[in-house]
Amino acid sequence: MDIFGSFALVLAFVCAVYAFGGGIAAIFTRHPLLIKSTRQAGMATCALIFLATFSLEYLFFSDNFANAYVVAHSNRDLSTFYKIAALWSGQEGSLLFWSFLLAVYVLSVLITYRNKNGELMPYVGVVMAGVQIFFLTLNNFVASPFKALASPGADGVLNYVARADGSGLNPLLQYPEMVIHPPNLYSGYTGFTIPFAFALGALLARYPGEKWIHLTRKWTMIAWMFQSCGILLGAHWAYAVLGWGGYWGWDPVENASFLPWLTGTAFLHSVMMQEKRGMMKVWNVWLVFCTFLLCILGTFLTRSGIVSSVHAFAQSSIGSWFVGFLVVIISVCLGAYLKNRDYLKSENQLDSIVSRESSFLFNNLILLVSCVAILSGTLFPVFSEWITGNRISVGAPFFNKVNIPIGLLLLFLTGVGPLLAWRKTSTESMKRNFGWPLGIGLIAGVIALVFGFREIYSWVCLILCVFVASTVGLEFYRGAKVIRARSGATYLASAVDLTMRNTRRYGGYIVHMGMVFVFIGLSGAAFNRDLQKDMQVGQTMQIGPYSLLLQGFDSKPEKNYTAQRMLVEVLRDKKPIMMLYPEKRHFATNEQNGTMVAIYSTLKEDLYVVYAGDSPDTQLPVLHAYLNPLVKWIWLGGAVVVFGTLVAMLPNRRAVLVLAGAPQPATQQLTHGLTPSVTMRDGHD
Amino acid sequence: MTKKRPVVAIIMLALFAAVPLLITPAGAQQLSERAKQVGGKFMCMCNCNQVLTGCNHVGCSTSSAMLKELNVSLSRGDSEDAITQMFVQEFGTKVYAEPPKSGFSLVAWVLPSVYLFVGTGLVVFVISRWRKRPAIQVAPAGGVPGISAELLERSRAQAARETQD
Repeated sequence: MDIFGSFALVLAFVCAVYAFGGGIAAIFTRHPLLIKSTRQAGMATCALIFLATFSLEYLFFSDNFANAYVVAHSNRDLSTFYKIAALWSGQEGSLLFWSFLLAVYVLSVLITYRNKNGELMPYVGVVMAGVQIFFLTLNNFVASPFKALASPGADGVLNYVARADGSGLNPLLQYPEMVIHPPNLYSGYTGFTIPFAFALGALLARYPGEKWIHLTRKWTMIAWMFQSCGILLGAHWAYAVLGWGGYWGWDPVENASFLPWLTGTAFLHSVMMQEKRGMMKVWNVWLVFCTFLLCILGTFLTRSGIVSSVHAFAQSSIGSWFVGFLVVIISVCLGAYLKNRDYLKSENQLDSIVSRESSFLFNNLILLVSCVAILSGTLFPVFSEWITGNRISVGAPFFNKVNIPIGLLLLFLTGVGPLLAWRKTSTESMKRNFGWPLGIGLIAGVIALVFGFREIYSWVCLILCVFVASTVGLEFYRGAKVIRARSGATYLASAVDLTMRNTRRYGGYIVHMGMVFVFIGLSGAAFNRDLQKDMQVGQTMQIGPYSLLLQGFDSKPEKNYTAQRMLVEVLRDKKPIMMLYPEKRHFATNEQNGTMVAIYSTLKEDLYVVYAGDSPDTQLPVLHAYLNPLVKWIWLGGAVVVFGTLVAMLPNRRAVLVLAGAPQPATQQLTHGLTPSVTMRDGHD
Repeated sequence: MTKKRPVVAIIMLALFAAVPLLITPAGAQQLSERAKQVGGKFMCMCNCNQVLTGCNHVGCSTSSAMLKELNVSLSRGDSEDAITQMFVQEFGTKVYAEPPKSGFSLVAWVLPSVYLFVGTGLVVFVISRWRKRPAIQVAPAGGVPGISAELLERSRAQAARETQD
């Protein structure tokens, strides 16, 4: 099966080269047969990559320990769950998984637009094939997952060998998120290839600029949603696994995943400027280019070993390939832009600084400043070593100091932006829209002060969260009120109806609400506390409102490891709440240990309990308990963000909301200074 | 609509505004505040990329040894500068949790502000240019500068014809 997989990869490479070369020829000759054959070559490439990927999975499931990759990342006792995930647990397999996910996207695009966009698709196909060629080059010639184990015989000839069992999967990776986090994150990274291919294709084909935006909006949102989901799942994993710095440690690999998310977010906002006003065309093209470049740069950082990270793959020489690919992409993008930039001129003027357009500009500015600041901070140790010879660490304190103010500014704009009208916002409209949210935000601030809230950033964050939540709530309330007045339905049904009539707008508001929840969760970090104690059975430890009673220990043998567990009863006001089982795991296959924390999570706080080994002084087991306020809001916010994105991708149920018969005051409230026809008929803002 | 509805909405928003109440003031800490403050300025040197006081590797011998050194220095009454010198001598400049605000490292601190100022300047410049631009530039007589109106229109028509959602 390893030969089959290897052969499929080679064939896929050949087909991708044909799709690329033939595609270029098709662009010039416009020969229908050539266009069709290159499209089919693109599809064949994808099918062959699927075959190669399933071959590798088959090797894992059949415990084929003649394959070097399987030996390094699996063993007989590894559960089925993790045998699936073992595919992406190492450098070679994860690169194949990249190709696999990219093939899913490419095939979807080729099928979706097989009879559409005749002139544009050859360009898009060529760009997609170009990206596939790069990854297939790595899969075939640089980091093949289909290498067989061999050892030199007495005559110096290599003989194939098979091991009785594998080395097993790294214990840190044996956690449920291993199965879902990388697929989500990689789906985000690879998904940005599609908007990139359309943007570059449209620029090469000299399309004036609006159409590729329409074509790629959903692809961009899908990629963005996966990226968001992947980042949050990664954060949850890092939170639940010790030694990874909590849910966000500003580790270079974490930063690498965040960078394209920031530019992708900027793009999803600025794209509205182009759709609505025909502005920011050059900016949007470059935002998509940069997002894709940052995906590749992030992969380079993760895999080259250029920056030190607990999440990175082993150091390898693969980095130079990525540098070469980055240089090629930048050259092509720059060349295409310089050649055809005249087709990207803006068409409208800015009527007022106090307008939705300005808010989008500042939103983009803040997102981009954050992106560049994180990038330069991440790479600073490398630069400092090159220039001064000393490697300076840039850790979480630096990133927090730089990014917390930027994040708060962004949160403020999240509340302000949607309340400003396109073109110009009147003073009356400002008063009407900002009065209540500002008032409620300030009340929240006063309440927080009265109750002893003295952490300045968290305090400001909570005021802004309440402000943004109020603006979103009022938007729903006002819109639902109009519908309710006409239909007589309940507020909830009216709000649902409102959302379904303009999914993009109200889906976007739901995403904003999700981000508010995430910020609430982040603001709790300033109040984290912890306590560590050597414990005897029957002893208790008090942290916050909780008493932790050590009831005993047990040993739990599992198929792939043996767990030593602490049996901890959690009490509050002397009443038992639940049992927690923090444990230490010993994996016999690779003689490694892992620690599993136990978490009692509420909206108020997480009680996070660790079995921290035995004390060298007292020989007693050590219980380390943390009280982390508001963490659950982060995961809740993530779910809301995903839900909002899915809503925004739905088609509008009714394209036009007729307001002609609606009472005038309600109409004014709904549209915030805009003429009703503009806001409601466009169906997206 | 009844008068009760806005009241319900306000109560719901006020409940949301009460989120700060969920957080109770901080309690007892195991490391002294001083140790937490000073220790937070160094990285744990076990390659975990976490600050010294934040390293939660179970059984991390590096962080426990470093924290012990820190506690000894603090109990001796050493200044923060002396402790920094001690760790830098022992582990090199990699031990800093954030770049020092001197020498080349200052660049790391200055850059984000530079990005913000330059970016803001660019946005202001763009806004002022957009405000000065004539109201409608769509297909003027001369077309977009560099390409003719006819060519632009033809490109538009082609794009509209060939692209469908």
